[in-house]
Amino acid sequence: MDAKKNVQNQPHVEEGTSKPCRTCKWQTPDPIDPLRGQCTANRHPLGGVWKRWLRNVESLTCSRHEEGKLSFREHV
Amino acid sequence: MNQMLSAKVLEYRGKTLDFSPENPAEAKIPADELHEHLQKPSTARTKRLKERCRWKHASAGEFVEKGVRAGIERMRYITEAHKASIGQPEVIRRALGLANVLNKSTLVLQPDECIVGYHAEDPNQFPLYPELSSMGVQDFLMSDYAPQPAEEAAEIHKYWMPYSLQAKCQPYFDPTDLRRMYQFSSMEAPPFVSGYNSIVPPYETVLQDGLLARIKLAESHIADAQKAMSAFPWDGTKGLDYIEKIDNWKAMIIACKAVISWARRQGRLCKIVAEHFETNPKRQAELLEIADICHRVPAEPCKGLKDAFQAKFFTFLICHAIERYASGYAQKEDSLLWPYYKASVIDKSFQPMDHMEVVELVEMERLKVSEHGAGKSRGYREIFPGANDLFILTVGGTNADGSDACTDMTDAILEGAKRIRTPEPSIVFRYSKKNREKTLHWVFECIRDGLGYPSIKNDDIGTNQMLEYSQYSITGNGATNEEAHSWACVLCMSPGVTGRRKTQKTRSEGGGALFPAKILEVALNDGYDWSYADMQLGPNTGGIETLKTFDDVLEAFRKQYRYALQMCLSTKDVSRYFEIRCMQMPFVSAIDDGCMELGMDANALSEQPNGWQNPVTTIVAANSLVAIKKLVFDDKKYTLEQLNDALMANWEGFDEMRADFRKAPKWGNDDPYADEIITSFYEDIIGGEMRKITNYSGGPVLPVGQAVGAYMEVGSRTGPTPDGRFGGEAADDGGISPYMGTDKKGPTAVLRSVAKVQKNQKANLLNQRLSVPIMRSKHGFDIWHSYMNTWFDLNIDHVQFNVVSTEELRAAQREPEKHHDLIVRVSGYSARFVDIPTYGQNTIIARQEQDFGAEDLEFLDVDI
Repeated sequence: MDAKKNVQNQPHVEEGTSKPCRTCKWQTPDPIDPLRGQCTANRHPLGGVWKRWLRNVESLTCSRHEEGKLSFREHV
Repeated sequence: MNQMLSAKVLEYRGKTLDFSPENPAEAKIPADELHEHLQKPSTARTKRLKERCRWKHASAGEFVEKGVRAGIERMRYITEAHKASIGQPEVIRRALGLANVLNKSTLVLQPDECIVGYHAEDPNQFPLYPELSSMGVQDFLMSDYAPQPAEEAAEIHKYWMPYSLQAKCQPYFDPTDLRRMYQFSSMEAPPFVSGYNSIVPPYETVLQDGLLARIKLAESHIADAQKAMSAFPWDGTKGLDYIEKIDNWKAMIIACKAVISWARRQGRLCKIVAEHFETNPKRQAELLEIADICHRVPAEPCKGLKDAFQAKFFTFLICHAIERYASGYAQKEDSLLWPYYKASVIDKSFQPMDHMEVVELVEMERLKVSEHGAGKSRGYREIFPGANDLFILTVGGTNADGSDACTDMTDAILEGAKRIRTPEPSIVFRYSKKNREKTLHWVFECIRDGLGYPSIKNDDIGTNQMLEYSQYSITGNGATNEEAHSWACVLCMSPGVTGRRKTQKTRSEGGGALFPAKILEVALNDGYDWSYADMQLGPNTGGIETLKTFDDVLEAFRKQYRYALQMCLSTKDVSRYFEIRCMQMPFVSAIDDGCMELGMDANALSEQPNGWQNPVTTIVAANSLVAIKKLVFDDKKYTLEQLNDALMANWEGFDEMRADFRKAPKWGNDDPYADEIITSFYEDIIGGEMRKITNYSGGPVLPVGQAVGAYMEVGSRTGPTPDGRFGGEAADDGGISPYMGTDKKGPTAVLRSVAKVQKNQKANLLNQRLSVPIMRSKHGFDIWHSYMNTWFDLNIDHVQFNVVSTEELRAAQREPEKHHDLIVRVSGYSARFVDIPTYGQNTIIARQEQDFGAEDLEFLDVDI
């Protein structure tokens, strides 16, 4: 992984966060339930994208939050 | 830059084989741009149509092309009719809904096209289906592709919340189980939530009878029923059955009349444009001819090939996009069109034309399908990356009497595909040793040009399977010996009969997936998913400390797999139950001889069972089991606890251990140790457990391993696995394909491994990547032909090929704008390489490029 896993750099609950997963470029919507999401920030140097399910895209956040949207080429 | 094909030689049976290009001119083409030089549209018109084609490819859940979005009209008019028909029988309401959409929707007519018709109000749009999945529509409303006006769309979505298929089915399941299914990591979501569907329309009745004749049939059945109901003495045990039948026949009449009126409206539009707007006399004449065709078909029987292409396309639009959404393009197209080819090309009795004009029509049909947009939910926009939808037609094989079914129509379909080079529709070729060599050359030409299709299916296996399923028919009217030869693939892989009746009408019969790689992961963790959702994903089957033997591991997997099977198949049949009651398809019913005869809805009538479900990622699970058995239980080099520690760390700090697990025997190398375990895994667990299930139609459910792009999505939701794979890496790309890059013993070793799996299987997808220089040499056809005959003799069900160089794939990653014609086989479908995410592109590059050594040629008994 490109960062050692710890509480801050993985999605965690912060009620009222100003950096919710919903606005993060690493987030992509859940394939079935539009109220949930998927985090794609965990990327292996060899190209693997290890997704994590996001139960609540409004109140989850992490230190790797970046506003924006990735192109389809950078997702799975 | 290297030249395209470096000369390569091989000593074989005392001869020196030279693999320089068969066409010497190709030697001058740079190796990294070959595919950009292969298209040859048959006319200037099809070249123009391709240049302005409105593709609607989706990747990672997003549309690749700008300006694509959902339309509002279908959802508006189906809702309007639903509100206006309260109190009427449900099947009549469905018919009135279809009629309202067809009567009021905006028509689309584009320059140059000769096959007309579209399913939304704008050629950049596609319809939505609020009556199916609430979640699927809600996702669109929250996306960049929301229909406009957004407020109206939101109101429609809200209106359907209590009436949707999702709302009807959900109460019968525990929400915990459903939440597990929504993860799309160990199981596909239920059909009532995904809305995904597939069908094999009985095109034959439309082309042969015409809809006016179908209306007359329904009217006469109603008259007979009314007569029977009024006959003395009344018998309430039988007479009441006529109520539902009469409603069904009435609905069929409403639907057929609406379709005729819609087609004629298309014709009038062509006439108006010809008479008032078009200035080119040639195009004016064409438009008037199209107007005439649309007036006659599908109302009347087709008389020539133009009629047949048009009637078929109208039928496709209704069955796959307007009455209800369904993926696919299932048809035995060469057999379906051959009578009309004979009329127009050979007898010249109607719409006379020559063979090359047929090729042009094929190219135009391919481009129409390429423009078709599907309102699929996000999960299905993710798992077919680079594709529009799964459009797959079938050709070749054998006739009802067992003779070769290849005709000049087959050749025209293949030639058109080779010339125009579109990724869709894909083609399945039913391979039989009876097939004529002329057609096999066309099959080979498409494959060696890198189209990724035809994908090849074993004609004998498919035909025998139709007969086997026929035995379970609950009406005792399954496929006959003759009808068994009529099969086409329903989607990528599963054969199903075509014809005037007995075809698959809904995916709740066959379809849906489950994912053994993830299932193994949770089996090693007491049913818990630690790597993606952080939740319990299956039953408690014991932690890793309880797994003392290899059989314990297998049994834990079996229990988790049974749970997934139970959920997948029970949700499908519950969907079917409510499809019958609130998702009727009166048009499809009208064109099915069985439904017409019995007065039944197409969802309800099952004459030929065809139960199937797709295990995808089986090889990651299977290779993992082999590694566990060897290193933990046989060699005792590691304990399961140590393995668990390494997996939880994503192998970080466990390099040597990972190397050992990677080196453990892998599938696809004709390795007796690996193959024995994996064959048993396929036959006893994957297939053996599945066939214990009986579905709505009374037949067993069998596995159809076909990965599509799910091997990427599920790979990204699966943690590290004991085969040495890192967390998030893609899974295996077929159904029985070796894991990418691990089949090191050549193409014939792969065949020998795959041939070992025979019991309890319906179909398994085998992806192979062949050497470009060998396939493009003058020996290419002979080697491929021998390979295919050996594959056939080994009783293998399927194979599909990529013939593309790594150099060209890398060049396309660097400069995508220069490689729009580079097509690759993903898995079960083809796609433009530049429309696939980099993650997926890398999985195609990583596939083992199979060269043929002298020992391979000996095994294949190639006669050169």
